[in-house]
Amino acid sequence: MASVGIGGFYRQKKRGGGGVAKPNPKRSSTGKSAAIALSFTDPDQSLVLGAIAEHGKTASAVAFEEERLRQFDLDMRYGPCLGLSRMERWDRAAAMGLNPPADVEAILLKSSAAAADCHWEGRI
Amino acid sequence: MKVDVEMGGGSPKLLERKQAVYRNLDEGYEIHGEKYKGQQYSHIYFTRLHYMRNLLYSLVPKWKPNLPVNTVLGLEEEKECIIAGTMYKHMKLKPSILDEYSKERSKVPLVKPHNFVHPDDHLILEDESGRVKLAGSLLDPSAFVTGIVVALHGKETSEGKFFVLDMLEAGLPPQIEQPPSSTEDKYVVFVSGLSIGSSTFNPLQFQLLVDHITGHLGDENEQTIASQIVHFIIAGNSVQILQGLLNGQTIAPRDQAALTEPIKELDILLNQLAAAMPVDIMPGPSDPANFSLPQQPLNRCLFPGASAYNTFISCTNPHQFELDDIRFLGTSGQNIDDLFKYSEAKNKLEFMERTLRWRHLVPTAPNTLGCYPFTDKDPFLIESCPHVYFVGNQDKFETTLLRGSDNQSVRLICIPKFCETGVAVMLNLRNLECHPLCFSTSLNV
Repeated sequence: MASVGIGGFYRQKKRGGGGVAKPNPKRSSTGKSAAIALSFTDPDQSLVLGAIAEHGKTASAVAFEEERLRQFDLDMRYGPCLGLSRMERWDRAAAMGLNPPADVEAILLKSSAAAADCHWEGRI
Repeated sequence: MKVDVEMGGGSPKLLERKQAVYRNLDEGYEIHGEKYKGQQYSHIYFTRLHYMRNLLYSLVPKWKPNLPVNTVLGLEEEKECIIAGTMYKHMKLKPSILDEYSKERSKVPLVKPHNFVHPDDHLILEDESGRVKLAGSLLDPSAFVTGIVVALHGKETSEGKFFVLDMLEAGLPPQIEQPPSSTEDKYVVFVSGLSIGSSTFNPLQFQLLVDHITGHLGDENEQTIASQIVHFIIAGNSVQILQGLLNGQTIAPRDQAALTEPIKELDILLNQLAAAMPVDIMPGPSDPANFSLPQQPLNRCLFPGASAYNTFISCTNPHQFELDDIRFLGTSGQNIDDLFKYSEAKNKLEFMERTLRWRHLVPTAPNTLGCYPFTDKDPFLIESCPHVYFVGNQDKFETTLLRGSDNQSVRLICIPKFCETGVAVMLNLRNLECHPLCFSTSLNV
């Protein structure tokens, strides 16, 4: 898939072999730019940077937001989630008159997760 | 004394070419800012289903007002209801890439390359929640293709299939009122399938066409008619490059000429045309443009001579425009040819009528016809009924006037391949009647 950098690909392989690994929720919210730019750095370091970027929110708050975003990803009413960033999918749903939830828009606008792809991107 | 040969003596009368107001409506087909991010085709089907389903839901109350509307997953056994979704046709003979990997090679029947219809084909209706096989004899699978969105009235049977009692198609879209017919005749000429560079191209035949249209042939009557031609449309397949040169290997210098000669010849002819009247050129399957629909306009660098004129317009395929407020919509033939491969009808005009009734120009894209994976729109949906609907590169000239239930009236035109038939089509904007222009260079009358 076009969106995951080489670093992200190898990162999955190291973690427990062939199956699809479930990474820490904080990892996926750093967005794909982190995966490409920090491909040679320690993966844990990028985790720390990601946590700092979340404006000092607690781990549980970040996890809740991520959970909400994943629910939005899987909601069938707004169409397929692969191949679009979350903000683009929200905008598309709004333009089509589907009334996507406003709290998801709030989460997307304030965090760096707006440019992020959906949870399944790069894994399917 | 110098006699003007064309005018046959006497003082030469100056004939002025008529003009029509042209408006290009191709923005929806152009791919300017689209950036491919690896997305798949699910988004096109989603937007298509969303738009068409909303449309069908608005038509259902007038059709069957007392029945409940369900999603596929919400079907209950033996309860009559209405469902709307995308139709999928399971075809036994449809070529599949997976056939290469199947263990039993001998079972594959020999397919006719031009038609994959089989009596065992069956239909399935699908929406986001699920899919259901369609049963019953109302729908004949050979008349349908994958990708159209319809509403069905029926009930679920004990086998889990949906027994179809009635079907609702979207029908012809609403049409902008045609402007009141003017008193003067203005003509539009369509041609397609020139295939310059192929063995069947006859340069004299096309030169005859060019000379006739630009007014260099014929007596005063002929020239008067030629002066009433306001627009010239070339609907695809203008060049044909030898297939052997396009297999990916480096081309020897002497073969390079074979690559560029057809385009240069086309440019010379377009130069003559563009100097005389507005010319629209659309790309076709054999032209140097992208393969997947919507095909982007042929690059102006290919036509250094003709593109100097502001009357030369390179267009997308499909192409939509207005001339004197009469709306035209047309393709270079890929949509109808694909329908011909995967369904049956009595003639090509019937395929064209079906695409209008389904309100979708290319229903088989992206299933069997290549198309760009848009994420937020399906540009082939027909929202407003054209007044003239043309398709290029067909086998013969056919035309009819299609009338809709809402007072719509569409002139359907099949434009034949010029290299094989020598026939161009002339349409009168005053009454939307058309007739063929036949050119022949054989000396046996």
